[in-house]
Amino acid sequence: MPDKEKRGSGRIRLLLVDDEVGFVDVISKRLSKRNIDVTQALSGIEGIQALRGQDFDVAILDLKMEDMDGIEVLRIFKKMVPEMPVIMLTGHGSEKAANEGMAYGAFDYLTKPYNLEELVEKIQEAAGQGR
Amino acid sequence: MGLMSDFINKIFKKREVLDTSKVKELRTDFRARYHQFKLLLTANNNALEIMTEMEEALKGTWPFGMNFVLSRCTSVSTNVWKIVRHLNELAPGRYKALMDRFKEIQKKINPIIRSKTRSREGPMFIPLKEVDKDMADQVGSKIANLGEMGNRINLKISGGFAITAQAYYRFMKYNDLQAEIDRLIQTANAKRPDQLYSLSAAIQQLIIRSILPEDLEAVVLEQYRILEKDEGKGVKVAMRSSALGEDLAETSFAGQYRSELNVSGENILHAYKEIVASKYGLAAMTYRLNRGIRDEDVAMCVGCMSMVDAVSAGVMYSRNPLNIRDNSIVINSVWGLPKPVVDGSAPSDLFIISRSDPMAILRRDIPVKKQKFVCYPDEGICRLKMIDEEGKEASLTDEQAIELARLAVRLEDHYGVPQDIEWAITTDGSVVCLQCRPMQQMKEEKTLDMGEIREEVEGTVILQGGFTASPGVAAGPVFIVKKDMDTLRFPKGAVLVTAQSLPRWATLLNRAAAVITGQGSIAGHLANVAREFGVPALFGVKDAVDLLEKDQEITVDADGLRIYEGRIDSLLKETEKPRNLMEGSPVFMALEGASRHIIPLRLLDPDAPSFKTQNCKTFHDITRFCHEKAVHEMFRFGKEHHFPERSSKQLLGDVPMQWWILNLDDGFKDEEEGKYVRLENIVSIPMLALWKGIAARPWEGPPPVDGKGFMSVMFQATTNTALVPGVRSKYANRNYFMISKNYCSLNSRLGFHFSIVEALVSDRSSENYISFQFKGGAADFNRRQRRVFFVMEVLEEYGFRVDVNEDTLIARIENHEKDFMVDRLTILGYLTIHTRQLDMIMQKSASVNHYRSKIHKDIHEIVFSNQ
Repeated sequence: MPDKEKRGSGRIRLLLVDDEVGFVDVISKRLSKRNIDVTQALSGIEGIQALRGQDFDVAILDLKMEDMDGIEVLRIFKKMVPEMPVIMLTGHGSEKAANEGMAYGAFDYLTKPYNLEELVEKIQEAAGQGR
Repeated sequence: MGLMSDFINKIFKKREVLDTSKVKELRTDFRARYHQFKLLLTANNNALEIMTEMEEALKGTWPFGMNFVLSRCTSVSTNVWKIVRHLNELAPGRYKALMDRFKEIQKKINPIIRSKTRSREGPMFIPLKEVDKDMADQVGSKIANLGEMGNRINLKISGGFAITAQAYYRFMKYNDLQAEIDRLIQTANAKRPDQLYSLSAAIQQLIIRSILPEDLEAVVLEQYRILEKDEGKGVKVAMRSSALGEDLAETSFAGQYRSELNVSGENILHAYKEIVASKYGLAAMTYRLNRGIRDEDVAMCVGCMSMVDAVSAGVMYSRNPLNIRDNSIVINSVWGLPKPVVDGSAPSDLFIISRSDPMAILRRDIPVKKQKFVCYPDEGICRLKMIDEEGKEASLTDEQAIELARLAVRLEDHYGVPQDIEWAITTDGSVVCLQCRPMQQMKEEKTLDMGEIREEVEGTVILQGGFTASPGVAAGPVFIVKKDMDTLRFPKGAVLVTAQSLPRWATLLNRAAAVITGQGSIAGHLANVAREFGVPALFGVKDAVDLLEKDQEITVDADGLRIYEGRIDSLLKETEKPRNLMEGSPVFMALEGASRHIIPLRLLDPDAPSFKTQNCKTFHDITRFCHEKAVHEMFRFGKEHHFPERSSKQLLGDVPMQWWILNLDDGFKDEEEGKYVRLENIVSIPMLALWKGIAARPWEGPPPVDGKGFMSVMFQATTNTALVPGVRSKYANRNYFMISKNYCSLNSRLGFHFSIVEALVSDRSSENYISFQFKGGAADFNRRQRRVFFVMEVLEEYGFRVDVNEDTLIARIENHEKDFMVDRLTILGYLTIHTRQLDMIMQKSASVNHYRSKIHKDIHEIVFSNQ
């Protein structure tokens, strides 16, 4: 039904890296209802591991996590898969972190909490650009 | 002989002891007074600064929230309270009644700035079938109007229920959520956009992460089950925000809050929290701030209706929103869900329909629609590409357009004001009303027919076309916004250039000079807010994003559909001043109401009989009154306290006349043991300044007296015992300084002239103060008065405020910078010496002129060219 005619399944493969457990669950479920398959990573390390084993169309990365500096994760992501668009999530709308992320090649950023439809659009936009 | 000398010694010793204790007392008293005086002045300045800030805010040139009103009212009252307290310390017992005045004024302010607790009774849900417009205080105006359409006007609406304001209060009270939110707002004290971003994010996350009260959860799920019974299992719902207080002060609130479409049953509760959280979305917070709406007046109600899977949908206005005189009905329509019309993200069909009988389609613009929004089967909505043929077709038949237009007129007739209606056409061809609200219209003087082209003006047109989304002309540098990232850097006064008129760019409208979009609709949220804020907006300018360059200065003529290079002043002249958007809003009215008891100043004249405690009606009155009295109390010190001659030191050196100095605190560099003190050991800033003037020029002696002057002096001397040399007062021809580092009082009596100078000079200009009193003379009253006027003239020239009463002159100057004060003291020092006996020559204008120019010349040399 949606315009993913370029791909067989039409579904977007998303890597969601965020350590806020309850939240990630809800969002994953809601995104999956919207033609987006979510692989959850609850830490930067898990994110990197997931990226080793699988291809993704887009990644969403929370810049503020316990285990690792989000910017550091972003740099590693961009080294591993330069063409994969990364959308940053900033908990506090901090201009500095967002700017830094953009300099390292992030696709765009969203401030938590995001509007679900906006998030979906941004994911679709990023996926469109990545491919 | 021995006895006699013992006796004499004893007397002197006793006197010394007396003097010493007296000096001690004097010093303590001085320090205490000075301390209180300084504290009072600090509070005084703070209070005045806050009042100025409040006055500025009342001009309405920048937005402020209740937080501002509360904090300023609180701090002005704290400072005024301090002022009253310090004055009572400065002069114990004299101003007790002031505290009562303060409390009475305070009592009047409190109810204005503290909101009344609203009644929080009622159910947490109401089925839509039972809702009508009178229930706006329970379900918010959007849902109340929806119910009205369904139940009173008998139009087709979706089934569902409203989660009420009561439910919202219940949620906010649960876990003390409201207190936590208020705390976040208070601590953040957000002013800059990025601070507001963080605050908004933090509050929203707080709400989304909070647990819903169990009874509320149960009620919502139960209502959903009832809806499932009516509409089928697994029915998806549209959840629409419907805030209480949305319609305050003619505000549109268009799309400030979140609505979620096609939500599945399992996510209703989460979606509810997200919608409640959107009360603190950036757009909503910015909007409330700009329009002066109090946070506490907005309670978030949510409508939960079965989702309409629309074949086509859109927004219509029962009148032309850009021209109040044009009563045609304007319909914007697209295939699928109405989202592209509401957010202006894609082109839509335009129908303009006359109210004539029968109605006729006046205009029909059908652009190619490349995409549409439809419901996902499980949840949410998605964008779907359209095949060319379908996209070229009109999303409404003419019959449907006319049917809609009739409906618009019916709604306007029912409500009595022009309406803005969101509608959808379902698969069976019936029209469902999704929402309606009073329409935002331009003021008459600003209206313009759609697409009217202006006469030629000089200037290079870079781009033209598009349509007026908000009229007006403005200029500024281009700033292109493509991503959310860009909004963080958006500078004040720039022209917002963006591909689509997305609702989220509305947060930039308080900073943008104008808006240009590649596409959008006048029915969209961005256009609504632009009109409300009076920001010119030109939508539908294809390629604007590609052709305009960042920082390029342009003039946007939204009326004339043109974009010019540079500033076109002839066009800009026509633009009005921005409206005071806050005027009439609850926040504005709270500030205005409170400030009526704070800002006005009625006690203007300290010499008027009405200058009394009981006449202090405002905080400003109290402030003024206390300041005057504090100065009076502080600078009565020199007059009130007897100068203990024996404890003072005589100024040593090559100085004319006798000068005695009492150190009250830190006026000496080193303590002096003996009877004398040298000038080098004095560090009193005001005394040194005075001294510079006193010692600058040797006194030339008395001026040559005219015959009459001499006779006058002789006559006075025989009749005025105070002037008879034989009865010389103890203080005759002696001059007394009482000093500290920043304070000095000088009592001098030179011949027949008395003068008192009191001064406080430090780096804190708010404390700085000089008073000068001058009296007496040997000549007759007439001449003495002339001399006083002569001195007044000189002093006024140097910025003193001077009052003359008979032959007494009182001059004051205050609150200037240290250097300025030092110069003024030097001038006073000079005048103290050189105006002596000028009364003698006051009848001869030639002499007067001679002395006037000599005095000016001297002052200029001593003070202004010698630095």
